[in-house]
Amino acid sequence: MKFFKTKLAVALLAAGLSFTSSAADVTVAYDADPVSLDPHEQLSGGTMQMSHMLFDPLVRFTKEFDFEARLAEKWERIDATTFRFNLRKGVKFHSGNTMTADDVVWTFNRLKVSGDFKGVFAPYEKMVKVDDYTVEIKSTEPYPLVLQTATYIFPMDSKFYSGQADGKDKGAIVKHGNSFASTNVSGTGPFIVTSREQGIKVVFERFDDYWDTKSPGNVDKLTLVPIKEDATRVAALLSGDVDLIHPVAPNDQKRVKTTKDIDLTTVAGTRIITFQMNQNSNPALKDVRVRQAIVHAINNKGIVKKIMKGFATTAGQQGPAGYAGYDQALVPRYDLKKAKQLMKEAGYEKGFKLSMMAPNNRYVNDAKIAQAASAMLSKIGIKVDLKTLPKAQYWPEFDVCAADMMMIGWHSDTEDSANFSEFLTMTRNKETGKGAYNCGHYANPTVDNLVNSANAETDPAKRGAMLQEVEQILYKDAAFVPLHWQNLAWGAKSNLEIAPIVNALNFPYFGDLVVK
Amino acid sequence: MFTFLVKRLFQALIVMFVISLVAFAIQDNLGDPLRELVGQSVSEEERQVLRDELGLNDPYMTKYTRFISNAVQGDLGTSYFFKKPAAEVILNKLQATLELVFGAALIIVFVSIPLGVFSAIHPKSAWTKLIMALSSFGISIPVFLTAIMLMYVFAIELNWLPSYGRGDTVNVLGWETGFLTKDGLLHLILPCISLASIMLPLFIRLVRSEMLEALSSEYVKFATAKGLAMNKIYYQHALKNTMLPVLTVGGVQIGTMVAYTILTETVFQWPGTGFLFLEAINRVDTPLITAYVIFVGLIFVVTNTIVDLLYGVVNPTVNITGKGA
Amino acid sequence: MSLLEVKNLRIEYPSRHGVHAAVKSLSFTIERGEIVGVVGESGAGKSTVGNGIIDLLSPPGVIASGEVFLEGEKVSGLSPQEMRKVRGSKIGFIFQDPMTSLNPLFTIERQLTETILANLDVTPQEAVSRALTLMEQVGIPEPHLRIKQYPHQFSGGMRQRVVIAIALSGEPDLIIADEPTTALDVSIQDQILKLIRDLCIKKNVGCMLVTHDMGVVSNVTDKVAVMYRGDLVEFGATQQVLGTPVHDYTRSLISAVPRSDIKLDRFPLVSYIEEAHEMEKLDVKTHWLGQSEDQRIYTGPLLNVENVSLRFITKDSFFESRREFVQASNNVSFQIQEGETFGLVGESGSGKSTIARVIAGLYPPDEGKVTFEGVDLTALKSEKERRPMRRQMQMVFQNPYTSMNPRMKIFDIIAEPIRFHKLAESEAQTRQIVHDLLDHVGLGRMAGVKYPHEFSGGQRQRISIARALATRPRLLICDEPTSALDVSVQAQILNLLKDLQDELNLTMLFISHDLPVIRQVCDRIGVMKQGQLLEIAPTEQLFTNPQHDYSKHLVSLMPEFKGLRNDLESA
Repeated sequence: MKFFKTKLAVALLAAGLSFTSSAADVTVAYDADPVSLDPHEQLSGGTMQMSHMLFDPLVRFTKEFDFEARLAEKWERIDATTFRFNLRKGVKFHSGNTMTADDVVWTFNRLKVSGDFKGVFAPYEKMVKVDDYTVEIKSTEPYPLVLQTATYIFPMDSKFYSGQADGKDKGAIVKHGNSFASTNVSGTGPFIVTSREQGIKVVFERFDDYWDTKSPGNVDKLTLVPIKEDATRVAALLSGDVDLIHPVAPNDQKRVKTTKDIDLTTVAGTRIITFQMNQNSNPALKDVRVRQAIVHAINNKGIVKKIMKGFATTAGQQGPAGYAGYDQALVPRYDLKKAKQLMKEAGYEKGFKLSMMAPNNRYVNDAKIAQAASAMLSKIGIKVDLKTLPKAQYWPEFDVCAADMMMIGWHSDTEDSANFSEFLTMTRNKETGKGAYNCGHYANPTVDNLVNSANAETDPAKRGAMLQEVEQILYKDAAFVPLHWQNLAWGAKSNLEIAPIVNALNFPYFGDLVVK
Repeated sequence: MFTFLVKRLFQALIVMFVISLVAFAIQDNLGDPLRELVGQSVSEEERQVLRDELGLNDPYMTKYTRFISNAVQGDLGTSYFFKKPAAEVILNKLQATLELVFGAALIIVFVSIPLGVFSAIHPKSAWTKLIMALSSFGISIPVFLTAIMLMYVFAIELNWLPSYGRGDTVNVLGWETGFLTKDGLLHLILPCISLASIMLPLFIRLVRSEMLEALSSEYVKFATAKGLAMNKIYYQHALKNTMLPVLTVGGVQIGTMVAYTILTETVFQWPGTGFLFLEAINRVDTPLITAYVIFVGLIFVVTNTIVDLLYGVVNPTVNITGKGA
Repeated sequence: MSLLEVKNLRIEYPSRHGVHAAVKSLSFTIERGEIVGVVGESGAGKSTVGNGIIDLLSPPGVIASGEVFLEGEKVSGLSPQEMRKVRGSKIGFIFQDPMTSLNPLFTIERQLTETILANLDVTPQEAVSRALTLMEQVGIPEPHLRIKQYPHQFSGGMRQRVVIAIALSGEPDLIIADEPTTALDVSIQDQILKLIRDLCIKKNVGCMLVTHDMGVVSNVTDKVAVMYRGDLVEFGATQQVLGTPVHDYTRSLISAVPRSDIKLDRFPLVSYIEEAHEMEKLDVKTHWLGQSEDQRIYTGPLLNVENVSLRFITKDSFFESRREFVQASNNVSFQIQEGETFGLVGESGSGKSTIARVIAGLYPPDEGKVTFEGVDLTALKSEKERRPMRRQMQMVFQNPYTSMNPRMKIFDIIAEPIRFHKLAESEAQTRQIVHDLLDHVGLGRMAGVKYPHEFSGGQRQRISIARALATRPRLLICDEPTSALDVSVQAQILNLLKDLQDELNLTMLFISHDLPVIRQVCDRIGVMKQGQLLEIAPTEQLFTNPQHDYSKHLVSLMPEFKGLRNDLESA
């Protein structure tokens, strides 16, 4: 009863701004559930989705990749290396503690030591508390992506996570094994966890003292269930056992779309799927004409249409539209005639052999795409020896760049063009860690310099121009085979207004979900 | 009896030791567990540090010795994903699997015995021909398809039954059971049927052929010559003898069914060990994989032991306390 | 009015290839208190008659024509319901093998009382007391205790007594006994036959006794019906039929019975066999079988069994002191000279088969040793050393079915040892040898393309003999090799063995409970009881002047051919 009253009070407070928001129970089926309740343990989609429910970031992306104030009310750049955030006042943690600058600094410091997240925060020297509701973040060099990285700062309840439990530090980040933070949580988010059986379900309930009283969200109780099998997940939605599912496999989308009272919502994604062409393992791939021929021979439009059932955006470059480096002139270039011509020019009129590897359970339709690509390459005389593997076995092969062409998908943690190049196309360098996933062994000092400069350029316009130049060079050099950006799809009952809360980052803002 | 159990225990230990050896030997080929533990942007050095921490870089013998010395103390390692002792994770999920297997076994018993017996007694009936045709058809349908079809018909189209999961459970003496709640029972129906469908044709045929054999035996002929009613001959003399081999095969098959749950559980998102195992493979959760394989070995030994004990109870000619000359 | 009257009974087995008449127009009668023997060789249709009378023919068998009357009432062509009332309460049935005719999972009490309750209008308590009385009547000691037991806790003879008690429990007027003693030991056969006879007289019931054993016929029956290929060739008082057989078949059948009274050189063959497989006469002197290359320079006994002891665990226990054993072989010693046939006789369980298996190397002895041509077999360690020994020693079992791979054709089963030991020069020669062997054991070479399950027990026995001979062995260990065979086949096989022995100097260890056969085949005989070898004596000496009390007892049990003409040799 008490619960109901508080609920009512929240509703009344919000009454002036929104329609009567009646309480709603929602069951959501994902393909996986979060591995831990510790937001800093593993940098993955699952963790980020959970963080947006249990915590709030300083700022968050809008659908259009703009920034929206959350726990930071205002921000400003003080100088090339200093950035200031003014924090929201009166924000309560689930434990009842009030959020202050101390919590933000504590969280930042914890991120700096987290194995998975410290890479994101490497450009920063430190964060300092200016007053109880003001913090400043200082980078070692001028750094343009402060707001992007601020989307990763989900202030944690420093008092809650300090001290000892079972003789261990409550704030410790433990990769393997149990820790306090992996099973206990106190954030500022719209939901609290009321029960959690890993692999079976997590039950979230609305946090009564949630600071964002303007949020239209009216979900009282949200149950997250993992359903691994695509067909089962769709069946659960169609049979009414769950209200919302994600992902929806391309083959099931038509079914979901045409079912009465169920809607399909899609968003263009930002994960690029590519093939890398290993110049070290196959000398033919050193020749830019051969690489161009391969790029021209692979009909990525056809792949999107036939294999992805239109559920992807054909790509000609690394970053999708909306990213700083996007150049709309860099269009997909399927041209079989030209591909043959290029092969002839390069002296490979009779073709050659190459090996190809792809995972078969990592990306949407990964193995089918690889099969289609190898069939397409055979048309210009390239005989492909294709091997597809489960991801568990694929990654060790990828680590040693075991084939001449390898499939890799990449999602930029910072939602920024530079990130793609840093991992995929910059010269491999053990010391700096650049090009760590560059199995093409493409190496171009101009690209390296441009990306490095862009990462120190705080003027968005200048920076954008540099990153566009990077994309243009990669396009010209055929540094890799761009295929497509995977779309994201959600299937939901029509009474769930999910369009406003989903985004290309795949972190639905469930706190704002309205159920009619 | 005591000797028998001691022997079986010893056998079980050997089986599990061999399994653990094999499980350990293939571990390195399953992939890199680190991939599933860290984000994509974590550097190789960081990974190496973690590998060292987890002891993944140690030589095989060092790893295995460590595993065995821990295993002797009841510690089968800690799951990377669940961050709990692997044995505990499996024991938690085992209840769900055992209930699924139990439900499927019930279906098998209550369907295969009447059908098998009927088709043996009336070999020329049209019903028998239908049963045999369906059962040979049933053998050839993969369980995955059965499950999806069942789900499509009963969950989506008719909306009678839930499509996934286990539903509500109640705790009875530490055992989470779905058999005592309406929701739990509804959730059991489809997974149990699809799991049962794998074995059902086989059991119908087994019951039928054993029953046919019993019916052609001398003691049935003699019982007829004694002037007994046919029903008595069928359902007492022949049926009891039919059940002996069915019990032996059935017991072993129950062990096999635990392994078959992998597919069924995956389709129905059934939170049991089979699904757990598949997930563990995808996540390269090697401690969990090893522990699961050892557990399955244990289940095989245990079911076989129980079957042998039961067989001894049912069959007066078998005396497991000692073997005859 | 006769108790049973069978009129022009014809039983047919329709099949795709046409109709086979197993019984052709059979007529005979049985009176109360009378035992009528139905005798003939396998395939003669004698069991079919018994099954036909109570409508228990195995499908697709049907009574095509004719009638059966029991006390004047027609019992053929009844509905299943009516027939059920005849079974048990009017006609009791005794099957051949008491090991398989009792349900192994039910107690004797249950199997007896259910029969009583099904046939008589009594209370369950009365049924139990009747069951106990019956058990006493059939000579089962301590019926109160034993009634609670399961069939496997009874010996073969005791089980057959139970079967008889069950057959009598519905108070029938007629008993049909189908080979009731064939599966039993010779010493027990006699008791069971006596029991059946006494009970028939005492209870004044008629009995139809189906058997292939002429000894049984002559000992027990009042009348005898001789069947040959579905036809009744002779029917009359036993004394008369056996003494002055009219039909040629009857004559030759009688002449083939091994004589217990005198040792003959050869078994007379059953000459009256039309269309049967003519047994190829094989000249072993010139045949491959006679051309063994084994060197024979050893002059001592070919086989020497020295102080062999072996015990089996009957009750296992974790603690050695609690285990229980049975002494299957207790300090047994004997020798067999090259070319000699040594017989071992004794009841089942006396340890004679155990000795055979020790010699063949199937059981290692606890103590003692076995030497073959001076080589200590028990000391051989490797398979390689044993292999040549195995080839020279072959075993023929009573039930050979289990030793044949059901997925192999007969040709390959016999050819296997020839190929394995590389005894033939070419595949063509192998083929010829196998064909000769098949012809020789009376199966015909066409049998080679069939599988073991397509043969009867007697036929499989011949296959196993053919296989044993295929290695050109020097020692043949025969464990009840012909006890399941008809006299005609038995005569052929035993003659074959004798021929082989004469020509090849084959040595044999011959185990049997059939004393007449032993007398005809063996040179010397050992008598065994409870694992001990009681007496060894030359054959004639043992039969005419047994020394040990047990030997005397055994010899006295030997069925005699009462009323047979003395000039049988001329038949």
